[in-house]
Amino acid sequence: MKAVILAAGEGTRLRPLTISRPKVMLRVGDKPILQYAIDALREVGSRDVVIVVGYQKERIQTYFEDGSDFGVSITYEEQRRQLGTGHALLTARDHLDDDFVVIPGDNILDGRMINQLLENRSDITVLITEHAQPRKYGVVELDGDRVSKIVEKPPRRISNLISTGIYHFTHKFLDLLDREVGAGRFELTHAVQTAIEEGVEVKGTLTDGLWLDVVFPWDLLDLNARVLPDAISRKAGTIEDGVTITGPVSIGDGTVIRSGTYIKGPVAIGEGCEVGPSVVIYPTTSIGDNVTISPFTEIRNSVIMDNVAIGGQSYVSHSILDEGSTIGSHFITAAEPKLLLMENELVQIDKIGTIVGENCEISSRVVVDAGRTIGAYCHIEASNRISRDIPDSSRVI
Amino acid sequence: MCGIVGYIGRQDALPILIEGLKHLEYRGYDSAGVAILGKDLQIQKSQGHIAALEAKLVQMDGTTGLAHTRWATHGRPSDLNAHPFTDCSGAMAIVHNGIIENFQALKEDLLAKGHTFVSETDTETLVHLFEEHYKGDLAEAVRAGLKKVVGSYAVAVIHRDHPGMLVAARNENPLVVGVSADGEGVMASDVTPLLDFTHEFTFLEDGDLVVLREGEFQLMDLDGEPVERPVHVVDWNLEDAQKGGFEHFMLKEIFEQPQAILDSMMGRIVEEDLTALAPPDVDKIKIIACGTSYHAGLIGKYILESLAGLDTTVEMASEYRYSNLAKESALVVAITQSGETIDTISAVREAKRRGTSTLAITNVVGSTITREADQTIYTRAGPEIGVAATKTFITQLIAIYLLAFALGAKRRTIGAEHLRVLREELRRLPSQVQQVLNNRDLIKGVAEPIHEAHDVYFIGRNINYPSALEGALKLKEISYIHAEGYPAGEMKHGPIALVGEDTPIIAIVVDDPVRPKMLSNIMEVSARDAPVFAVGLEDDVELAKLVDVVIPVPRTNPIFSPVVVLVSLQLLAYFVAHMRKCSIDKPRNLAKSVTVE
Repeated sequence: MKAVILAAGEGTRLRPLTISRPKVMLRVGDKPILQYAIDALREVGSRDVVIVVGYQKERIQTYFEDGSDFGVSITYEEQRRQLGTGHALLTARDHLDDDFVVIPGDNILDGRMINQLLENRSDITVLITEHAQPRKYGVVELDGDRVSKIVEKPPRRISNLISTGIYHFTHKFLDLLDREVGAGRFELTHAVQTAIEEGVEVKGTLTDGLWLDVVFPWDLLDLNARVLPDAISRKAGTIEDGVTITGPVSIGDGTVIRSGTYIKGPVAIGEGCEVGPSVVIYPTTSIGDNVTISPFTEIRNSVIMDNVAIGGQSYVSHSILDEGSTIGSHFITAAEPKLLLMENELVQIDKIGTIVGENCEISSRVVVDAGRTIGAYCHIEASNRISRDIPDSSRVI
Repeated sequence: MCGIVGYIGRQDALPILIEGLKHLEYRGYDSAGVAILGKDLQIQKSQGHIAALEAKLVQMDGTTGLAHTRWATHGRPSDLNAHPFTDCSGAMAIVHNGIIENFQALKEDLLAKGHTFVSETDTETLVHLFEEHYKGDLAEAVRAGLKKVVGSYAVAVIHRDHPGMLVAARNENPLVVGVSADGEGVMASDVTPLLDFTHEFTFLEDGDLVVLREGEFQLMDLDGEPVERPVHVVDWNLEDAQKGGFEHFMLKEIFEQPQAILDSMMGRIVEEDLTALAPPDVDKIKIIACGTSYHAGLIGKYILESLAGLDTTVEMASEYRYSNLAKESALVVAITQSGETIDTISAVREAKRRGTSTLAITNVVGSTITREADQTIYTRAGPEIGVAATKTFITQLIAIYLLAFALGAKRRTIGAEHLRVLREELRRLPSQVQQVLNNRDLIKGVAEPIHEAHDVYFIGRNINYPSALEGALKLKEISYIHAEGYPAGEMKHGPIALVGEDTPIIAIVVDDPVRPKMLSNIMEVSARDAPVFAVGLEDDVELAKLVDVVIPVPRTNPIFSPVVVLVSLQLLAYFVAHMRKCSIDKPRNLAKSVTVE
C-alpha cells in the first residue's frame, strides 16, 4: 500500500530551531523525526512512499535521497504554499491510484500503530489517541467505532480523543478533498468532517502505542528523554583509559572520549566528536556529529546539535544548542522550574534551561536565565547575563 | 555502498548488466565486474568506473548473469578484490553488498577443509561456504550457508550446472526482484536497473531468499519456508529516482556539501590523527592539478604558505613535464577528483623520476593516482555525477586545510592553541555552508540579471583571487557565458578597458586586510557603469552602499572564506545555467574525468 507523508511545513512555533531546517528534520533520539515514520512504514511493508515537501525541502532530500538506504522507494512532491494538510495531500494525487495511508511527518510513531489503523479499515479510517490537552488538535467524537464528529482545535472541550493525523483513505476520498480544497477548506479534518456529513463511513481506531508530537522547542527535550532509551547502544570511536560509561550509551565513529570523562546513559553521541578530558554527561542527552566539549563541563538532559563547540567549565542543563554555535568557557544555563507563556497560555515546565539558535557565537562567562531563548546568528560578548529573549542576528555587548 | 544487478532471460545478458550497472553508478564506481553463464561460467572485472570495465570487455555469450559495482570506503580495490568471486571449482559465481562480521572464523574453517582463497575479502568466504554446502541444490546450499553467517548482505549466486537460475538473499542491504512482461527475471540493489523491464517489483525483507528463473521467482526464508511479499508498482522514471527529488545532480551535490565537509574531516581532525596525516619533512611544495582541482591548488598555496610557512607553487599538470628540472626537491601534491586524470598521473610519474616524494588528494579509493603516489588523502565526497565539480572541489579544500594543519603543527608554525582555534573554526564550516545554501532564493534573484550577459568578470584578492577564477570557471562550463576571473588589482592593467554597462562584475569582499582595496576596485568598475554584485558579509554596510546586491556569506576566518564564497558562486552558476536552459549535468564537450592528454 502506498503511503503519503506530509512534511512541507516549517513549524514556525519551533523557531529558532527551524530557521534552516523543516520541523521534521529535527533530531530526536538518534534520528530525525521524519525517519520514525519511514521506519514504521518499512516495518509494515509499505515501501512506496510519497513525501510532500516544501519549506527547506533540500534538507529532507539530501538525507533520504531515493530511500534505498532506508529500505523504501521515495518520490517527492512539492507543496509550494503551505496552505493546509488537505491541500498538501492533493499535491501527491498523481501518485495515488488505490487506497493509501497518510502520515504527518512530524509525529513519532511505530509500525504497530499503522497495523492497528489497517485492522479495522473502512472508507476512511482515522487513528486516534487520548491526549491531556486535546484543544490544540483535531478532536474526535466516537459512536462505537464510528467517528461522528471531528473538529479542528475546538474552543470548548468535547472529548479527550484526538486525531493523530494518521489516516487510511480509499481513492474516492480524493474527489471530495479536491472539492473541499477548491472551496478554500485546506485542512484534512475539514474534508473528513464533510465526508461524515455526506454519510461516508468514517471509523476511528484507538491506539495504545506511543504517539508523540513536537509543537514547541521545549517539547524536544521531553521527546528526546522518552525516545533515547530505545536507541541502540553502540560504541565506536576512541575511548581513552580512565573514562567511565554506565547505562545505554552510543558513541559514533571517529569520536574521541578523553580520559576522566564520566557518561551516564541514556546518552547518544554522534560521529567525529571530541569530548573531554574530564567532562560529565548525564541523562538524557543527545549530542550530534562533530561536536567539541572542553574539559570540566557538565551537561545534563540536553540536546546538542551538529558542529557545536562548548568551552570548558560550563554547565548546560535542560537546554537545546542548535548547530554550528560556538560557546566560550564558563557558560552557565540556570535550569529552574518556570511558568512560560506559549500562545497566550501559561504552561508550567518542571525544569527548563536555555535554547541557543544556530550559528551563534557566545564568548566566555555568559550566564543565561532559565527559560530564555537566544535566537540564531547572535553574537554575545563576554561576561553578559541574558535575562530576556534575544532575537535572531542580535549582538549583545 | 555497492550495487548489484542480475538478469535471466533470452537476450544477451552482458549489455543488459552493463546498462544496469550504469544506473547504479551513483552507489559507487571504483571497481566493477560481471559474470555470465553461457556454455561456461565467464568472469571479467576491472578497477575504476564502469566505463573502464566496458572499455576492456570481451564479448561473453550467455543469457544469465550477475554484475557488481563497488565503492570502497576503506581498503584498496584492485582487479583481484573486485567482484564477482568464484568458488574453488570455478563453477559458482557470487556478488555481494554488505559486511560479513564472522568471516575470519568461517574462513579459517574453510581453509582447514581445503578451500583456497585468492583475495582478502569477506565476500570470497561466502562463495566457498556455499560450495561447502553444495550437494546439487543451489538454493539449498545458499540457504544452509547463510544460516552460519553473521553480518549484512545482499548476495546473488549463479552456478554452471544450473543455467537459467539465480539465487539471491538479503539481510540489512537492499534487494529488489521483478519479472518483465516477456518473462525476463531481474534483480538489483534498487529499482532503477529494473525500470527498463518492469514497473512491478518485490522488495525482499531481511532473512528472505529468492530463487529467480525465467518468468517466475519463489521467495522463502532461511528455513526454506515459503514467504509472501507484496508486489509494488512504481510510476516514476529512472533518473528522477537517483536524483532524490532534485532537478539536477549538480544541485543535489551542491546541497550535499555540509555533509560532505563533515565526512571529509571525520576522524582526522583531532591532534593525534593530524600527526599521522603529515607527510615527510619538506621545505617547499609544488601542487599539480587540472581544471577545478587546479583552482583548489591555487587556494591551497595561500593556505599552506600562511599556515605551514611553506613556499608553495602551483602548476598545471599538463605543463609540469615541460620544465627542465633534473631534480625536484619539493613535495609534489597532486590533486585529481577521479584519480584517473592522465595529465596529473603523468606529472606524478615525472616527479618521481625527478626523485621527490608525492602525495595525492583524490576522491576515488584505489584509483590509479593512489598507486602512483607515495601517500594519499581521500576527500570522501561520495560519488559525484554532475560534470561540474562541486562537492569534490570543496572537500579538496578541506583535505588541504587538514594537510596544512598537520604540516603547521609539525613545523611549529602553528602553536597548540592556534591549532585548537583553527580546528574549532573548521568544524563550524558545515553549518556555515548550510547558511549559504539557505540563501538560494536570493542567489536565484541575482542570476536573473546575469543570465543574459555575454561577458562576466569575477574579481577578488589574496586567497579569494583563485575563488574568482573558480567562480568564473563554474559559470563558463555550465552556462556557456564567457567569464573571467581577475585579481582585482589587475583590472586597471588592461581588462578595465572591456568593462561597461553590459558586463556584470562579481566582486568577492570578505572581512580581511584587503577589504579596503577591494572597495576601491569596486568603485573603479562601477564608475564605468558596470553592474556590480558582491559576495560579502551581511553586515558590511559600506559594501552594500557600493554594489547592486550583496550575496551574504557568514563571517569566517579569512583563510576559510573561499569555502562559503564558492558555495554561493556554485549556486549562482547553477541558476544562471538553469535560466539559460543549459544541459547542466552534462555540459557540451566536457567529460567528468579526462583520461586523454
